[in-house]
Amino acid sequence: MRFRQWASTGAPWIWLNAAAVAALLLLVGGLVLLIAFRGLGHFWPTGVERIVYQDESGARSTLLGQVREREEISRQRLEEAGQEVPGEALDLQRILLKTGNRDISGSDFRWVLEARIVQRDKPYSAVVVERTEWGVFIGHLLGVRQGDSLVPGNDSWGAFQQAIERASRLRAEISELERDQIGEINHQLEQLRLRERRIELDGGDNPVALEEIETRRQELREQYLVFEAQLETYYEQIQRDQVVLETVDGQRVDLPLANVIKAWRPNEMSLGNKIGHFLAAGWAFVSEAPREANTEGGVFPAIFGTVLMVLIMTVVVFPFGVIGGIWLREYARQGWLTRTVRIAVNNLAGVPSIVYGVFGLGFFVYALGGSIDALFFEEALPMPTFGTGGLFWASLTLALLTLPVVIIATEEGLARIPRTVREGSLALGATRWETLWRTVLPMASPGIMTGLILAVARAAGEVAPLMLVGVVKLAPSLPVDGQFPYLHLERKFMHLGFHIYDVGFQSPNVEAARPLVYATALLLVLVTLLLNAVAIVARNRLRDKYRGLET
Amino acid sequence: MNEASEIPQEQLDLDVERSAEKAQAPVAVTVRDLNLYYGEVQALKDINLEIREKQVTAFIGPSGCGKSTLLRCFNRMNDLIEDCRTEGEIVLHGSNVQDPGIDVADLRRRVGMVFQKPNPFPKSIFENVAYGLRIQGINKRQTLEDAVEWALRGAALWEEVENRLDESALELSGGQQQRLVIARAIAVQPEVILLDEPCSALDPISTLKVEELINALKEKYTIIIVTHNMQQAARVSDRTAFMYLGEMIEYGETDQVFTNPRVKRTEDYITGRYG
Repeated sequence: MRFRQWASTGAPWIWLNAAAVAALLLLVGGLVLLIAFRGLGHFWPTGVERIVYQDESGARSTLLGQVREREEISRQRLEEAGQEVPGEALDLQRILLKTGNRDISGSDFRWVLEARIVQRDKPYSAVVVERTEWGVFIGHLLGVRQGDSLVPGNDSWGAFQQAIERASRLRAEISELERDQIGEINHQLEQLRLRERRIELDGGDNPVALEEIETRRQELREQYLVFEAQLETYYEQIQRDQVVLETVDGQRVDLPLANVIKAWRPNEMSLGNKIGHFLAAGWAFVSEAPREANTEGGVFPAIFGTVLMVLIMTVVVFPFGVIGGIWLREYARQGWLTRTVRIAVNNLAGVPSIVYGVFGLGFFVYALGGSIDALFFEEALPMPTFGTGGLFWASLTLALLTLPVVIIATEEGLARIPRTVREGSLALGATRWETLWRTVLPMASPGIMTGLILAVARAAGEVAPLMLVGVVKLAPSLPVDGQFPYLHLERKFMHLGFHIYDVGFQSPNVEAARPLVYATALLLVLVTLLLNAVAIVARNRLRDKYRGLET
Repeated sequence: MNEASEIPQEQLDLDVERSAEKAQAPVAVTVRDLNLYYGEVQALKDINLEIREKQVTAFIGPSGCGKSTLLRCFNRMNDLIEDCRTEGEIVLHGSNVQDPGIDVADLRRRVGMVFQKPNPFPKSIFENVAYGLRIQGINKRQTLEDAVEWALRGAALWEEVENRLDESALELSGGQQQRLVIARAIAVQPEVILLDEPCSALDPISTLKVEELINALKEKYTIIIVTHNMQQAARVSDRTAFMYLGEMIEYGETDQVFTNPRVKRTEDYITGRYG
């Protein structure tokens, strides 16, 4: 009886709602926390442990590495795998040790049964070296060789750091020279080749122009030789220094500093140092280009590509969607035509995204892009310019994908404007267009913005259609650079969503890349959140401006 | 309290002064054989009516009798309703309002309208009043400022808002909003002002203020008001039309309609026997 009374107040439903909301929040929070923890852990300078390990035959070996994971494993599973298991316990603990030195030992990681460990400690002098290839090196520092002089032993740490700084400065200059100066020359040579081809296509009889092209080409080649010589000296300089390292089992490695990016001694770092290292590594991740088939380095091109694509998509979808919505709600005579259009729009919202990808490939890339190439870039053929996937086609495909959301939101936003306001404006002698432009649209703008927010959220996370229309695992250059026309809409680009897929599932070194998958996923969530936040702030400002509408 | 007792006296004086010229006032709007249909349903039947310049004409009648529909014919607001069709003519200063070739925007500039619920735009007080002028392409700051002040004074709102012209109009009270909407209407200097139950959403004090305003406005404008409140019609109007089921039952001077109605049905409605 009491329960029924309580139930009749409606309280159970309120509690049910509260529980559902709480569960949802917990799930979302848990998901983000998991991704953040797994992803950010990658940047933390974990301590290096030296582990003395006794294998089945009783022989001892020493390992040096960072503990990445600890898990429980059943005796049965180990025995089935053919291992001899010490002790009586049914469940054993094992740890995953990142030992690095892939070039020497063949793999980065090793599972170690805790029961077999004889001794564990953290040697003060252990060094972790990040290299341009073969992943990290973990071992001890023996000395630094600068030209002919050798700085030996533990005193060499300072010299090592200086040498790293020098090498990274040189590396930056080399890449600048290669990218900017030599890149510019290559670009101009390519332009000359295209001009020559153009002349050929036009009938081929213009000796004056051809001669001009040839002299210009000679000039460029001479310039190129100058730069090449400069490059040569840089390479000589960067090859000068070497660091002498030793693995835990006593093997000596001479590593040229040209291949060293960074080195740290995690066991002697203070908390402050570790935080500093963590922030620097995190920053490098978001600001640098990937290396080694995307398993090392940063994801900057992917962030850039994602954001740029979403922006272009927004620029395209906004006017089309809003104009479509206005036509449907304000101007079209309501009848079978508008009904058909509405049904079509609603159905469009339900089409699987890969279908848009196929459409984008067939219509935008092959049909439109192919025609553009044939008309305007004939001299570059058979190399396609717009006739292959690229930033612009990807943006257009996503704009098409998100168009229904914007149209529907615009329509709903317009429908919510009270008739009295429209009549008020019309009664003052405003035409329909003036009423729409001066009063109705501003008032509907928060609703339209909501549609745009949904569109951005959807577009930023979409991957499947992009794989067909322009995303690649490694783009040679960003879609924006210093060469005219600065924004290269035809270029292929990288995308965070595709990057996750590529690093996580197409990578040659899955174990090493796994933390990067989490870190990239976190970034994708953050980028989406950020793009949304911008739109939400804009919407709330509009809403504040036009509040009171609901009364 | 003093003020309240003075007003009726003033009004009385004015009324006495005017009563002589009332009958001779020139005609502003003539309605001839007006029929209006919503699809198959006829909402107005053979309306014939002459509205005099610089007088207040009230339309009264029970709900659904067509008085608002008739009012909305004067500025062609019914155009916005699909399936709405009219016959007959409404002549405003010599031109037929119902003529399909007429510039409707221009007509609405000449015939202002105030609605039942205050409907200010979600803009500043200043921009609300300046709206009609900006539509006409007047954007000179000084001209707009003068016009806004003039209109707000005309709507007896200037003292209350002169220091907060840049605040949102939605922050005003309901009564202030309604006077703002009236200011917005007179800012474009129309010839006729249509009031569609302007006080039905207001409290008694705001109602009183709007009624005072109507009295002041008829110095300059021809006013047509639709009201549910018969006392209001009696208080503010010079002429009254009683409508019932889309027909004009009786039309005459307000005193006559209220004290000595010619038609039985009018008498029944006025004395509260139905409606």
